[in-house]
Amino acid sequence: MTQPLLEVQDLHTVFSTKEGWVKAVDGVSFELHPGETLGIVGESGCGKSVTALSIMRLQRPGLIKSGRVMFKGEDLTKATEAEMREVRGREIAMIFQDPMTSLNPVFRTGWQVAEPLRLHHGWNAKKSLTSAINMLGKVGIPSAVDRAEDYPHQFSGGMRQRVMIAMGLTTTPEVLIADEPTTALDVTIQAQILDLLRHVNQEFGTATILITHNLGVVAGMCKRIIVMYAGRIVEAGPTTDVFAHPKHPYTWALLRSIPRLDAERHEPLKPIDGLPPNLVDLPSGCAFHPRCAFKIEKCSRDVPALQRVGDTQLSACWVTQAGTELKGA
Amino acid sequence: MLAKYVARRFLASLVVVLGVTLITLVLMDRTRGTYVPGIDLNPALRPEDIARLRADLGLDRPFYIWYLTWIWGVVHGDFGRSMIDGSTVMSHILDRLPNTLELTGTAILIGIVIAIPVGVIGALRHGSKADHTLTVVSVAGFAVPQFWMGLILILIFSVTLEQHGLPWLPSSGAYSAVNGGDFIDRVEHLILPATVLSFFYMSTWSRFIRSSMLEVLSQDYIRTARAKGMSERRVVYLHGLRNALIPLVTLIGLELPGLVSGGLVVEVVFGWPGIGKLAFERALQYDYTTVMGVTFFATMLVIAGNLLADLLYGVLDPRIRYS
Ligand SMILES: Nc1ncnc2c1ncn2[C@@H]1O[C@H](COP(=O)(O)OP(=O)(O)OP(=O)(O)O)[C@@H](O)[C@H]1O
Ligand code: SF4
Ligand SMILES: [Mg+2]
Repeated sequence: MTQPLLEVQDLHTVFSTKEGWVKAVDGVSFELHPGETLGIVGESGCGKSVTALSIMRLQRPGLIKSGRVMFKGEDLTKATEAEMREVRGREIAMIFQDPMTSLNPVFRTGWQVAEPLRLHHGWNAKKSLTSAINMLGKVGIPSAVDRAEDYPHQFSGGMRQRVMIAMGLTTTPEVLIADEPTTALDVTIQAQILDLLRHVNQEFGTATILITHNLGVVAGMCKRIIVMYAGRIVEAGPTTDVFAHPKHPYTWALLRSIPRLDAERHEPLKPIDGLPPNLVDLPSGCAFHPRCAFKIEKCSRDVPALQRVGDTQLSACWVTQAGTELKGA
Repeated sequence: MLAKYVARRFLASLVVVLGVTLITLVLMDRTRGTYVPGIDLNPALRPEDIARLRADLGLDRPFYIWYLTWIWGVVHGDFGRSMIDGSTVMSHILDRLPNTLELTGTAILIGIVIAIPVGVIGALRHGSKADHTLTVVSVAGFAVPQFWMGLILILIFSVTLEQHGLPWLPSSGAYSAVNGGDFIDRVEHLILPATVLSFFYMSTWSRFIRSSMLEVLSQDYIRTARAKGMSERRVVYLHGLRNALIPLVTLIGLELPGLVSGGLVVEVVFGWPGIGKLAFERALQYDYTTVMGVTFFATMLVIAGNLLADLLYGVLDPRIRYS
């Protein structure tokens, strides 16, 4: 296997709140390889965004308590603010969930797309704008020359997300983090944006971290996925394997909660019972145990570590680690 | 489109001008009693003398006739003559205007220049000691009456300093009557009143910028700006402030009439020969024409200020379209 481009090692990010420390990211480790698209899935509030923001060191007011983010041989958690600014928007770009609010309403679109070029490459206004317009065209904005003069409110949601993507790509970063890039969009537009991301990944070879709570999105986009629950990774592996035989009851339950095209099993859809836990006061042992259909006595006592289960997957579950297949119920 | 908008706004404002001047007149007319502007009622005047004087000034006519006459004058570009000294009202206003603009212009400028960093610091460090201190100072700025603050400053910087033989600041007027009027002399006279007035502006606007900035800094596009690798200064002062200033424009636009009236109390306390002081003195003397002239002028400024703020808002915020 190639050398990983980005390596997150045992990352812990916390927030101080009135009730206590929120452990938003609680020991997350993963690798991103050049050119790949990695999916991170999990319910709302499980720490996906905070993980992504921590990589960029934009987690404020959160605090990175421990762990490392190795990028090109350097630990970003130890980098200075000035060094981080060189990484942000130049080597690692990020696009966000809500394209309606993620662009500055008072500046022209072209100007905003060109901004990273002026900032990072020191290009003048004209050169950077030409390049920005070129990129706007590539992400599918019709008559980009004219549209660059428009303000964000003159674009539709899908077009704005294209603008965001163009803005992230102008500096040809090595990593693109897309945090729920389609969640705020209509279904048809969602498909178009995903197509674009796939195309971008192929054309520019940009390694992509695709964050979503939609398993359907991951299925078509990512070779590998990571499933998060309550700030931790509970399962990781090749997407096809994870979908075919999940090795964690949470993944298993997630898969049962979405409609599948290949519905050879005619099981009814079942939403997961219960709510995600309070991150200030996690349940003892496995954080999923209050909602788990497979739990055994040990589950509420000891925290399971993420370990190899089967040939290709990692799972943090006592039951599957002991060799049990997840079925029925 | 825009021209139509401006025209409509102007027509609407006509009603306001009429209303305001009419109320001014009624108030003065009703409280005047038997006082005849321009003369002290001395016992030697016989009733028929007074009646003649009143008739000369047109005061024997009902106020609406009087008002219509005044309007007629305004329409013909003539604000009439002062009932007390006979010179034209316009000449009075033009005479005082530069002084007023000097004072309020300086105060507004200082107010903005201080309010922006103070507001931004308050927002960036909200909840900190620095923020709390600035909050206390700002609240003092609009809680402490201007006349009181003016008197205290006079007491300290004019009276006490002079008593101790130290350099002191003048407490009255816009320049020295003797050998005055040069730049240094005017600045010395300007310091105290401008301090009082700018303190007020600074307080109001810094609070406003603070809250507006706090809101803006929590917006998604600020996170985007950071993710693009901008320095914190660029994030705050370009992407943040540019948005936070939009509502401030309205506030400052509303303050435009303050160019004339905002300094009234300060002008009176510091004997500053401006329009506010003119209106104050002439109101006490029931100089109808002058007071109404100033009122008319101030109202026009309110309207112009509002309109200007609206138009500027449209320039600053591309989402606004006039219709
Ligand atoms: N500024 C903050 N202050 C306190 N807690 C925070 C803050 N930001 C995030 N958190 C906590 O961190 C946890 C993880 O949040 P995060 O935004 O990463 O979730 P997510 O997986 O991205 O969810 P979603 O699908 O809703 O975007 C949440 O439970 C939230 O309560
Ligand atoms: S460890 Fe136990 S509670 Fe946790 S997921 Fe596995 S079976 Fe369920
Ligand atoms: Mg999120």
